[in-house]
Amino acid sequence: MNKAGGIGIGGGGGGVGSGPTAAAAAAAAQKQKALMQRVETDIANIVDNFTQLVNVARINDTSVRNSQEAFMMEMRAARMVQAADSLLKLVSELKQTAIFSGFASLNDHVDQRISVFNQLAEKTDSMLARVGEEAAASLKELETHYYSSAQRTSQTLEP
Amino acid sequence: MDGKLEMSLDKLPVKRLESIEENGIERFPTDIGYDEKRVSLIRRIDFAWAVEKEDEEKKQKKPKKGSRESSSTTTPWPWQNMAENLQLAHQELSVIIDLINTVEANDAVTVAGMTRPKPLPNEILADLAVSTATKLQCYRNLGKYFKQSARALEQQVAREARFYGALIRLQQNWKVKRQRVGAIAPGNEGFMIDLFDNSLYDSVAVLRPSSLSTIRVDHGSDGMLAINLPSKSCHSLLFGFLSGHSNAGPMKSNKIKSHGSLEHPSKKPEKESLSDNECVKDTHSLLRKVHQAIFDEQVFDMVNCGAINQSSGLNVTGIQENYLQLCIDPGISVFVSLVLSDQGDQVVDSEGPQKLESAVLPLDSLDGVKLAEEKHNSRTKKPCFPNCTSCEIYLKQIFHEYVFVKANDRPFSSGTRISSQPANDGSGLLSHFCLSLSHRIFSNKVLMELENVVCRVPYLHLISHPTWHSRASAWTIFMKIPPSILHASSQTRTPDFQSIKNVVKSEFRTKVVINDDCINIEAEGAPNVVGVFKESSEDICSSNKYDCNLDDFPVIILQQVASQVIRWLHEEALAVGIKANRDFLCLSFELEQGEILNLVAHVDPEDTRGCISWWLIMEDGFAEERKLHMDIADGASEYRKFLGYLPLDVLYLTLMDLVSLCGGGSR
Repeated sequence: MNKAGGIGIGGGGGGVGSGPTAAAAAAAAQKQKALMQRVETDIANIVDNFTQLVNVARINDTSVRNSQEAFMMEMRAARMVQAADSLLKLVSELKQTAIFSGFASLNDHVDQRISVFNQLAEKTDSMLARVGEEAAASLKELETHYYSSAQRTSQTLEP
Repeated sequence: MDGKLEMSLDKLPVKRLESIEENGIERFPTDIGYDEKRVSLIRRIDFAWAVEKEDEEKKQKKPKKGSRESSSTTTPWPWQNMAENLQLAHQELSVIIDLINTVEANDAVTVAGMTRPKPLPNEILADLAVSTATKLQCYRNLGKYFKQSARALEQQVAREARFYGALIRLQQNWKVKRQRVGAIAPGNEGFMIDLFDNSLYDSVAVLRPSSLSTIRVDHGSDGMLAINLPSKSCHSLLFGFLSGHSNAGPMKSNKIKSHGSLEHPSKKPEKESLSDNECVKDTHSLLRKVHQAIFDEQVFDMVNCGAINQSSGLNVTGIQENYLQLCIDPGISVFVSLVLSDQGDQVVDSEGPQKLESAVLPLDSLDGVKLAEEKHNSRTKKPCFPNCTSCEIYLKQIFHEYVFVKANDRPFSSGTRISSQPANDGSGLLSHFCLSLSHRIFSNKVLMELENVVCRVPYLHLISHPTWHSRASAWTIFMKIPPSILHASSQTRTPDFQSIKNVVKSEFRTKVVINDDCINIEAEGAPNVVGVFKESSEDICSSNKYDCNLDDFPVIILQQVASQVIRWLHEEALAVGIKANRDFLCLSFELEQGEILNLVAHVDPEDTRGCISWWLIMEDGFAEERKLHMDIADGASEYRKFLGYLPLDVLYLTLMDLVSLCGGGSR
């Protein structure tokens, strides 16, 4: 988590500049701060609840106290799971942000695909032209063969 | 208690004499105090029944225990002691409770208070053990809960990894957007794929956004990315011909059924067993089909707009929802419609073979000689329709190339697109398409006529010249003098003629070029028409170029060929030193007696035995008058002789005979 925070801060700091991207950079920094806050809150939540769970392991004399602690243990466990679920949602949000914010890689990929498809189109066009030429050559050859064939020649000789 | 009820009666509250002494003094018992009276009453309660019952039970247990021990002496029940202790405790408790109730019922005795006895050490330990066990059980339950939650979270992580992995792969080829407004239904992650090309909005403003432009991305049952399409939502373009000559129905294009179909991927029973790669591939192919469906819809919209445009000059004969009918030629109509993708396949599959069998003509244009032989008697000129599938592909191709591709290639320099009157583009393209179709049909008819002629004139060759233009076609009718004749003629030529450069042509070509529906014939070796009127046919143009219509086309071709043969014969006659006169289709020889012998070519496209026949006609000074009184139809008259459908070598020999008859030449 700390490493990710460090990288994120470095990336955010590098992007700060003047012009139209300043507002975007500020918004990104604010969002990053909020996400870090959420992460810290959730992890603190998990640690605190787990600490409390361990602390109530002592057996008390009164059964009422023991029952009370049993209910508290269930509550703490539920809170821990809720915090874990919140962390998971945060990871999903980060993945969505990565999907919709990776413009550089997307643009590169799109350009690459465009060039590939252009090449494919050119190749197809040349192939079609070649097919046409071969068809024309084959047609000419077939016509020549037909008109010089015995069947046609015998038809010629017949009055 | 048993059924018996024992009753005891209190003594009457009368002082009874206890004793009398000898002196007569009576002694009465002392009065009993309240406490003593209470204690005595308590003592009067008989617990014998309980004690007896206990004894009986003990006695019963002992023989049972003895029997048990006798039957199974190996393993006593571990909880036996505990059960007995609990039973005893239960009995004592019930006794005490009955005592308390009885005492309270009497109102004479009440329970003043109870004090918990000080717990014994073993009881303290027992309580502690119970508490410990309870807490341990709690922790174990928590452990199970954590394990269950961890498993669920792991599954969710795996599902999301699969989902987002697939989404990232889809994003590399498609435009993925996030839904920002509106309630997101459960199961829907809020993503959608946008298939509409908004770069065309400025250039083709008439395009309506398709209902399929945005596709929602959902979670499948296995967590995998899934795409839901409404049923019967995808349409495909269908093209066909409608002919007034045909008794059959419309001829439609065959839909090439590609792999897969427009079904929801999750509906396939084997979906769960497919890997992620295969799922992504299936999704890609599904999106591609939807993209094609959107393209077909856009093409149909542009066709509609182009047809309705009044400046297009197109004749719209029918229009319905998703259906447009155009008349491209008299008696020939085409239709363009949008059909459901699954329905199009079914329609074609069920009607395809029947339509092909009952079609007027084969879809392919490779009609060839066979067709000519079948139809040589028919002058109805039934249309030869080109392949519907190829026409459909051509329609899509021209719209794609001239609208979509050129729209994307336009510069973005000023931020505004250069509008080039999209309405005219659409109508212009449609007009071009209709003209191409009519040209294709017309050229098929011309080809039929050419093949008809070539089939019946054996010394003609037909050479095709692919133009690779949708509205132009070209052929050449080639006639070559056989080498044997050339050799023979070279031996019979006069020395003077031999010294001259050989000007006798041995090859004659007649080029037929069709542009749209205009037939242009360019022939070489034909006499100059003007020279014919000047009675001098020696002025020969190297080539003649002229247009004609389809009805006169066969005759003109045959006349051209016949004139070329006449020219060749004329040159051969000149080569042997005979002076011959050449008319358009007639070669004249002057005999010694002043008579004129004419070798005349007769052309008839309808003659199945041969299109070019030869006649020998004798003329003298009075032949003109006699002709008026002669039966022209009599081919065996003394002035006319039908020679038949002569090949070139026989014609050459006939010429030589005529030369010898003329009495001139080197022979």
